[in-house]
Amino acid sequence: MPVAFAIHDLSADGSLVRIGNNLKDGISNGAIWALVALGYTMVYGIVELINFAHGEVFMIGSFIAFAAFGWLGLDLTTAIPLLILGLALTLLISAIASGALNGMIEKVGYRPLRDAPKLAPLITAVGFSFILQNVGVLWLGGSQVSVPDLIGSQNLLFEVGGIDITNGDALSILTTIPLVLGLTLFIDRARMGKAMRATAQDPDAARLMGIDVDKTISATFLIGGVMAGAAGLIYALYQTTIWFHQGFEAGLIAFTAAVMGGIGNLRGAVVGGLIIGCIQQISDNRIGPEWTPVIVFAFLVLVMLVRPRGLLGEETRQAG
Amino acid sequence: MSSVLERARRIDQRFLVAAAILFAVLLPFFFDSGSPFMDDAVLALAYVVMALGLNVIVGFAGLLDLGYVAFFAIGAFTMGWLGSTFYSESNGGDGIHILVTGAASNLPGIHINFLLVLVAAVVFTTIAGVIIGLPTLRLRGDYIAIVTLAFGEIIGQVAANGDQIKIGPIWDATLGKLPLIPDLGSSATLTRGKLGISPVDKIDLPFMDPFTSLNSRPWYFVALGLVLLVLFVNVRLRDSRLGRAWLALREDEVAAISMGIPTVKTKLMAYGTGAALGGMSGAFLGSFLNTVNASQFEFLFSIFILAMVILGGLGSVWGVVIGAILLSYVNSWLIPDVLNGLPGQLGLDFDLTQVSFAIFGFILVIVMILRPEGLIPERSRKQEMHGIGAGDTAGAGTDVELGEAG
Amino acid sequence: MSAGPEKAAAPKPAPEVPIRAEGLTKKFGGLTAVSDVDLELRAGEIAAIIGPNGAGKTTFFNMLTGLYRPTSGRIRRGQRDITRARPDQITALGVARTFQNIRLFPTMTARQNVMIGRHSRMRAGIFGSIFRPPWVRNEEREVWERAAEELRFVGLKPELLDRPSTALSYGDQRRVEIARALASDPEILLLDEPTAGMDPRESGELADFVLRIREERKLSILLIEHDMKVVMGISDRVTVLDHGELIAEGDPAAVREDPKVIEAYLGRGATA
Ligand SMILES: Nc1ncnc2c1ncn2[C@@H]1O[C@H](COP(=O)(O)OP(=O)(O)OP(=O)(O)O)[C@@H](O)[C@H]1O
Ligand SMILES: [Mg+2]
Repeated sequence: MPVAFAIHDLSADGSLVRIGNNLKDGISNGAIWALVALGYTMVYGIVELINFAHGEVFMIGSFIAFAAFGWLGLDLTTAIPLLILGLALTLLISAIASGALNGMIEKVGYRPLRDAPKLAPLITAVGFSFILQNVGVLWLGGSQVSVPDLIGSQNLLFEVGGIDITNGDALSILTTIPLVLGLTLFIDRARMGKAMRATAQDPDAARLMGIDVDKTISATFLIGGVMAGAAGLIYALYQTTIWFHQGFEAGLIAFTAAVMGGIGNLRGAVVGGLIIGCIQQISDNRIGPEWTPVIVFAFLVLVMLVRPRGLLGEETRQAG
Repeated sequence: MSSVLERARRIDQRFLVAAAILFAVLLPFFFDSGSPFMDDAVLALAYVVMALGLNVIVGFAGLLDLGYVAFFAIGAFTMGWLGSTFYSESNGGDGIHILVTGAASNLPGIHINFLLVLVAAVVFTTIAGVIIGLPTLRLRGDYIAIVTLAFGEIIGQVAANGDQIKIGPIWDATLGKLPLIPDLGSSATLTRGKLGISPVDKIDLPFMDPFTSLNSRPWYFVALGLVLLVLFVNVRLRDSRLGRAWLALREDEVAAISMGIPTVKTKLMAYGTGAALGGMSGAFLGSFLNTVNASQFEFLFSIFILAMVILGGLGSVWGVVIGAILLSYVNSWLIPDVLNGLPGQLGLDFDLTQVSFAIFGFILVIVMILRPEGLIPERSRKQEMHGIGAGDTAGAGTDVELGEAG
Repeated sequence: MSAGPEKAAAPKPAPEVPIRAEGLTKKFGGLTAVSDVDLELRAGEIAAIIGPNGAGKTTFFNMLTGLYRPTSGRIRRGQRDITRARPDQITALGVARTFQNIRLFPTMTARQNVMIGRHSRMRAGIFGSIFRPPWVRNEEREVWERAAEELRFVGLKPELLDRPSTALSYGDQRRVEIARALASDPEILLLDEPTAGMDPRESGELADFVLRIREERKLSILLIEHDMKVVMGISDRVTVLDHGELIAEGDPAAVREDPKVIEAYLGRGATA
């Protein structure tokens, strides 16, 4: 699709600036979906559960970040060094709170149902999603709330070849990259990361090898929540509006990204998130934003039906 | 010996069913026909139809459908298309009238008798069910949930933006030449977008009081008729070759397909049936609510109906009836009228109507954790939801009398 | 009992080779579970597949019954190529099976389990089920009785008929599984380790019963078995798999002497 539009642009206005800007916006947005998708893919990889409430954990992450701006007194007048310090602190707060929230949901809602049919935890997940949405409604009301534009999200940072890189783009990409790298490193190297991979492959065997499966699962939810919390902060700064409903669509998009990348595959989830981000931008810009949800959901259906094992392969253990 | 007991139980049950039906038939005569209670009762019955439809999909076949609202939408739109002034240019502005009397017979637009609309709604939703189900039901269970949800959202969004989709010219170009296909005029669109189609024709049946918004008694009886029909379908399907196959697929899909049960076809029958029943209720609600409006077709509605099924007991026909009636009254009476001031009285700063989401979400969570088989469990479900096979009752030889014959 | 419950008249004459695998291979990622196996089951015979744990026996069955799609090779049922057929289509073509780790439907009674086995021979569809015309009533009643007959044939005590399958003893559960398979009127019966978990006396009884099934139901049986006594006692032919490959085939006595087979089993002491 981008290629088709690129050709179209070339013939229409003789340059690639428009599609380039579409893709740049897509990647910045997609980076946020990528962070949310990581939580989906990790959790699904390990307990084969669509953590339906994950999108709402991301939403709560945004809300907490917004509140933290208030607590820390961050506003448009804050000096830059203090602002950076404050944002780092906010990142910490919203990431930890979201991680804790996700971990709590697992303990209360999913762990008691580990031996029940798979339908059961999925239904509680949907339930939690609604409860959290309502928490959002009570917290900040039922409509969009604007967040102080602390970083000047739309301000031009620099320009390359006609493509405008704004502060928001830089924030989104520069926060996501270290987080993703850190996470991959952690999964590859750390003891807990290894335990996660072992449990994802075969929980019974992992248990026999002396791995504390419960603890490993909790840690997975926790880390997934941390990523969602970070994404929540970036979203708030980048979009400068937040609302209770943002998690619903984000959740579905991120899950699609996870499936597209091959469930359990971290890099795949990131790539999936970026692709969907681009599709959204192109649709917003060329078809009309009111149709973007339809396009995104149609894409979701297509991915699930055509490549349920993901574009990049790699699947968890067979169900049969 | 046990068969005597069982026969006694069966007679008991029949008596209970007869009493319940009698109660339902007599109920409207004890209430003022224009009272809010009766309006809520009509709504509750329509939701019972929905919930029993979803029960075939989720309860019987074990397919978690998170997009059931799609069938409500299609059923309601069928009513809107075929029973309103929406297509006012159809037939050159004269309108199309089939077996309708009263005001509707003189208005422009398409006006078709409710019973025929009901049939059309069943046909449309079944086709939609097959189109959605055929590719989707090949997937694993949790993916089915997400894909059905996505389809539900797509249909809701298309309804909201359908005023941009012109169907007149396409319709005329491809089908207009056929004698049966009406001319809708050149500016006909798929929906009226965010505005919604309103008013919608009232039901119009011979030998019954006129259906008006002030007199809910005739609506009640039509809804009750639909409930009885759908109950019959539920009970018959449950105790049939198909019902047995659905149970088998739910319990062990690999064993079931190895025993010759075609997975996709068998699941599709459940999905199509559930779709058709949802469409029936949708058409009825379109007329009763007097509007077909994109804001009705949201994800929340799918969860509302799902919560009824889960609360009552997955697969339990009578449980689902009770779950639907309970939640329907919670939604249309208890929350807005009775408890709404409660948070205020407790010094909290919100209305209960604001948290209706959370209430349904909470029901899902609590029921699943504390009593996954629901209020009135279906026979086999109790063991199933408690993960039988892995532990407990699997211990052989302990001749416990668990059994109830089939 | 007269020659088994009323058998649906087979319209076509029984084919020469009821089922045949040609070059059948299954790979799971890097692992080749079954490698280029040719095997045929002749009409009326009892053939056994043996081999150490993980040799690929169950995988082979799963391909024959359509649960796994072969990586390469073909499967023929008589004249038909069923390599890509679905499990339910294969069942409809007269192939039935049991599972190594019993897979009864846990909340169903023994009788309901067997009725499921009859599913492929029933006709009631959605409208038949809802309106329940006389032919559907008859069909339902016949299957209800047929299930009881099958369970009697496999020797389940009548009072256990309407017990939940999980309340039955291990041996009885194995019987119900065989009855469920027989209910579809198969021409080919695939038994995956039917004596697993049984003591020698029970195993002996089961071996006799397998012979009786063949006599009374006139079908061909392919069986996976670890118990050499059973294998030697009832099979006409034995095929040995090891690491997915067919290493020996033929007369039971000859196969037992085959050095390759002895090597495959070395240290396992399975040659009784
Ligand atoms: N679905 C699957 N995915 C991955 N590997 C599999 C799968 N099914 C079987 N295998 C592998 O294929 C090999 C053959 O397994 P199979 O179950 O066919 O052996 P078997 O001969 O039946 O053994 P046993 O005597 O223990 O029953 C084993 O290594 C097994 O782990
Ligand atoms: Mg095996």
